[in-house]
Amino acid sequence: MKKPAALPMRSRVVDDKSLALGRQRSLWQDAARRFRQNWLAVGGLIVVIVFLVLAIVGPHIAPYDFLEQNIVKAFQGPSAEHFLGTDDLGRDVFSRMLHGARTAALVAFFTTFISLVIGILVGAWSGIHGGRIDELLMWFSDLIQAMPGLLLVILINTTLRRPVINAFDQMYMQTRNPFFLNTLWLDYVLVFSALALIAWPGLARLIRGQVMSINEEDFVLAARALGASEWHIMLRHVVPNAMGPLIVAVTASMGGAVTLEAGLSFLGIGIQPPNASWGSMLEEGRRLWQVFPHLMLIPAATIGIIQVAFVFLGDGLNDALDPRRNS
Amino acid sequence: MASFLLIRLLRWTVGLFLILFVTYGMMFYGAGDPIRMMFIQGEDFDSEDEAVMLALRKKYGLDEPFIVQFGNYLNNLARGDWGRSIRLQVDRPVLEIVQFRLPISMQLGFAATAIGAVLGIGLGIIAALYHNRWLDRLIISTVLFINGIPVFVVLPMMLLLLVLQLKLIDVPYGWSGLFHIDAFLPVAAISIGILPIIVRQTRSAMLEVRSQLYVRTARAKGMPESRIILRHMLRPVLTPVVTTLGLVMISLINGSLFVEYILNTPGFGLLTIEGIKKVDYPIIMAVAVVGTLIIFVSNFLVDILYPILDPRVRAQ
Repeated sequence: MKKPAALPMRSRVVDDKSLALGRQRSLWQDAARRFRQNWLAVGGLIVVIVFLVLAIVGPHIAPYDFLEQNIVKAFQGPSAEHFLGTDDLGRDVFSRMLHGARTAALVAFFTTFISLVIGILVGAWSGIHGGRIDELLMWFSDLIQAMPGLLLVILINTTLRRPVINAFDQMYMQTRNPFFLNTLWLDYVLVFSALALIAWPGLARLIRGQVMSINEEDFVLAARALGASEWHIMLRHVVPNAMGPLIVAVTASMGGAVTLEAGLSFLGIGIQPPNASWGSMLEEGRRLWQVFPHLMLIPAATIGIIQVAFVFLGDGLNDALDPRRNS
Repeated sequence: MASFLLIRLLRWTVGLFLILFVTYGMMFYGAGDPIRMMFIQGEDFDSEDEAVMLALRKKYGLDEPFIVQFGNYLNNLARGDWGRSIRLQVDRPVLEIVQFRLPISMQLGFAATAIGAVLGIGLGIIAALYHNRWLDRLIISTVLFINGIPVFVVLPMMLLLLVLQLKLIDVPYGWSGLFHIDAFLPVAAISIGILPIIVRQTRSAMLEVRSQLYVRTARAKGMPESRIILRHMLRPVLTPVVTTLGLVMISLINGSLFVEYILNTPGFGLLTIEGIKKVDYPIIMAVAVVGTLIIFVSNFLVDILYPILDPRVRAQ
């Protein structure tokens, strides 16, 4: 590329000391500063980080195996030996909660990842090209978003189960890889796919909207007038500007996936026992809740705290990343 | 205006048809054969008898190919025949089950909506009047907090607190009418789900209306504040709140699924879960029809009501 012909003359106003007093901050530093002022959001962030860390290291620091049963010690309250007590089969509740954190985090991560990939591809395409595909996407996402997500997920999850089991069986017959006999993974795969299937239209719609509105901005017009390529405009202008809303949406999507997974497992449709999920633990605790309330209280409180943390975090991010609000 | 409504109607009808088609397809290809499941789980018959299974399939029309079955279903549906339950309540007409179950959920839903709307609009107006002061912040953070907690956590927590700790009420069981004490917990739990939607919409609408010129004029005339709120602000505030009806319906369906499952209320939400767990095609299809219709009608209602309530939209 050729060098610009001449730099514009420095304006006198910029040289004015009174304007140069403040240290220059980037938009992201600005956002971080705004975020730090919101203590509810910071609290949410801390809880979410603790949750993610526990999901990664949790099963390694768990005092017991999450499947280890000991009927003699069933239904114990919290004690030094069993931090959060034991459940109906004498399994250590704390270890199971840690495993449940991994389940929840895996579901949140994969669901968001899958729906983000589909959402970016479809959303960007229809945002740039418009036309029939765009109309179809809008109609479809209208439809999906108007329907109760839980109902759709239940339906998808129930109906996918048998075909996926069959597919896994066939894969095992062909490859003899023991991975395909593992029903634990099967539950996860089902839940990710069902959740991602209903989550992607929302993300695609958001990305489409961002791509469209940023493409109309004057700075994009200027870049285009200067002869910038479409890829340059995409990477230098559209992506950084769409980042803020996308981060907010991704946070919301992760929180939503955790709730939906817990809800599904609570109804006995998502992650099946003996696999540990907070939702199925809540369901198991519900059976004898009047006698052993701690078995219901612990998963319920955990799901509640994580959800509230995600909501506060998302709200804080939304406020922090939207500079138009404060201008 | 009429053409706009017509297009919306057309879109939703296509959507309804598509959802029914996909649901039936998923049931047919994915969920498995309910007749075989009867035998495997040994509920109703003793042995796996192919002849009996064939006869049963024939009886419920499950021996036909997919397109024929789906066509038959639509045809029967159009004539008011919703089919018969296969496994849940064997041979009982689905329409009869729906007629028994749906009103229970609807009563719960209406009561919850009424409470949520009155509380939510009130809190939203108060929050906007105290904009950016501590009362506003308190309401907004509380609403955000409530919004985060799923209903299947709220209800167990309420049970633990009200039944086990404070011993205020007994564990609700079954259905004894809306005005029985047993209806308190389900209604409360469902209305907590819709409260945040209404508070937020009311607050933001109120904030917008507050700075309008005609409000300033009214104030300049010396009109008392309460009268300004009731006469000048309430209507433009309530109009956008109506548009949340779709979201409220989703929240109601969601709420009734979990609440009825937890408390064993024989409503439509419990029917949904039972039907899906038992792979009872006619029940699942009925749930899809009714659920889609609820969403469809409420969205369409918003499209019709909005121009009626807001003359500015009508003028466009």
